[in-house]
Amino acid sequence: MSKPIIQLKNTSKTYPIAGKEFMALKKLNLSIQEAEFTGIVGPSGSGKTTLLNIIGSLDKPSTGDATVLGKEIKSLSHKEAASLRNFNIGFIFQVFNLLPVYTVFENVEFALLLQKKSALERKKAVMKALEWVGLEDQANKRPDKLSGGESQRVAIARAMVKTPKIVLADEPTANLDSENAHGILKTMKKLNKDLGTTFLFSTHDEKVMGYLDRIIHLRDGSIEKDKKMK
Amino acid sequence: MIKFILKGILRDKSKSVIPLAVISVGVMVTVIMSGFLNGVFSDIINQNAKLDTGHVKIMTKPYFENKEQLPNDLALLEIQELIDSLNLNYPDLIWTPRIKFGGIMDVPDKEGNTKSQGPGIGLAIALQNSKSDELKRLQLSKSLRKGNLPTESGEILLSDNYANKLKINPGEKITFFGSTMEGSMVFQSYKMVGTVEFGSPLMDRGTFIIDIEDAQNLLDMENGTGELLGYFKDEIYNDQNALVISNEFNSKYSKSQDEYAPVMVTLKDQNGLRESLDMGDAFSGIFIFIFILSMSLVLWNTGLIGGLRRYNEFGIRLALGESKRNVFKLMMVEATIIGLIGSIFGTTLGIIFCYYLQEYGIDISSDIENSTIIMPSVMRAYITSDLFYVGFIPGLFSMLFGTALAGRGIFKRETARLFKELEV
Repeated sequence: MSKPIIQLKNTSKTYPIAGKEFMALKKLNLSIQEAEFTGIVGPSGSGKTTLLNIIGSLDKPSTGDATVLGKEIKSLSHKEAASLRNFNIGFIFQVFNLLPVYTVFENVEFALLLQKKSALERKKAVMKALEWVGLEDQANKRPDKLSGGESQRVAIARAMVKTPKIVLADEPTANLDSENAHGILKTMKKLNKDLGTTFLFSTHDEKVMGYLDRIIHLRDGSIEKDKKMK
Repeated sequence: MIKFILKGILRDKSKSVIPLAVISVGVMVTVIMSGFLNGVFSDIINQNAKLDTGHVKIMTKPYFENKEQLPNDLALLEIQELIDSLNLNYPDLIWTPRIKFGGIMDVPDKEGNTKSQGPGIGLAIALQNSKSDELKRLQLSKSLRKGNLPTESGEILLSDNYANKLKINPGEKITFFGSTMEGSMVFQSYKMVGTVEFGSPLMDRGTFIIDIEDAQNLLDMENGTGELLGYFKDEIYNDQNALVISNEFNSKYSKSQDEYAPVMVTLKDQNGLRESLDMGDAFSGIFIFIFILSMSLVLWNTGLIGGLRRYNEFGIRLALGESKRNVFKLMMVEATIIGLIGSIFGTTLGIIFCYYLQEYGIDISSDIENSTIIMPSVMRAYITSDLFYVGFIPGLFSMLFGTALAGRGIFKRETARLFKELEV
């Protein structure tokens, strides 16, 4: 068995809401291996986004440990957390969130600018990422000229361009029609296989379920069911 | 990265055009107001200095105490000796005598009967003295409306309004009726050779200009003058230096028993100018401060709204691995670029507008027709070196201030909370 890339031990997260403490995650224990294609499923308020935020180093657990790629999230400074995201974690959002004033190329290039890669390295990596998602001929278009499916492909290219170890996808197919959703999932599955990237989804979408290797059901901040599909 | 940010600024009109427009307009108005107030106060000082007060003025003590009555019976005498001594002691100043006197001007018709008549104020200056700067200082050539400047003794100039009132044209005779410094009645005919416009309603109402020697002969004031005016050689009034010189001069005569001992006063100590200009300075300072403050608030708000509008973009950038510090730093870089471009553009527009106001001004002569103080009838802006940077205070700093406040929100919040607020 490979080494866990993400490991949560008794991880809890509480938020103050209206003067009371709301427990979004309750002593969660979870281990995700390298190159897994995993979905976190659950109703609204079950703690999916909080879990993704902690794994993505956007938030810290209140108690317990969360270790991502060997780094203890709780002990990371803002700068270290940003660096972890910059080099190792890609995000894909429900609403694509492309920067509208930049071209497809520039949107994908941005993550590499933060890594201070040279122009030549950036160009090579961006074109390769666009090739992965089949958009190499759309590089100079602005996001408003793209369809929803194409926009989400750009978002995938943006997440993948830095060849991260982990991709966190928050409801990536929620705004897509069936054909585009399947297309996107196939692309991500292929990248998962070809590059060995670990994908972690938060989703409600039945279409997504069929592609997952593992489904973790969350309810009220606790794991209700953890099922390997294959 | 800067190139990437610049692309964003250029392409996103809400990021660039609106803040740029607000900054440019704000900076432009600041520059115009500053240049205009500068111009008005400088003009008041210059016009008073040229036409009446000098940078410093020497009179006898009793003349000074009654100067509104133009008491030439209390005039300074033996002025050439006084000028020689002043030239020796105060080499930075140029001294020039002036006599002001009142009387009736009478214009005869062809038969020698009175065609028109009116009271006038004579201003005697060194018109015929080729070494004197008075012609240049009073800009009489520029101010000439009709005829020409006097070239010989017996020729005088009239203010254009006064000449129109008296219905006299260049080349015609005019007779002065008045009294000598000793109080004897005197009348003398002159040839009016031209009319001038001083640009000060008080002077334009009824002034005639005569050569100082003609006036000395007319008023029996040989080697005497009502007032001795001193001008700094660079023609720029320096209140501090003027005060030092006047204090030094006056201290020499403070214990003098001579009741006609000379006294020196500075420009600001005449015509209530110190109070008026100090008050004007204070008001303009307060006005400019309030203006800059309000512009800063507007621009701060622009920066703040601009920052808030882009929370979504910042959220994406944080998710992509940019640090909060870098997001903030680049926001400030953007604000600096926009603030600088806006300030440069606004300053350029402001200076162009100031140049127009400097050349053409705003004519307020009809509003100050009956003014009893010397002030310009056309209010002009002056382009000075400070105009090139005064606009950068509200333009650049307020933009940076607004952006810093907007960016503070990014720094203060937890990343996850910000991420949620950013609707990412």
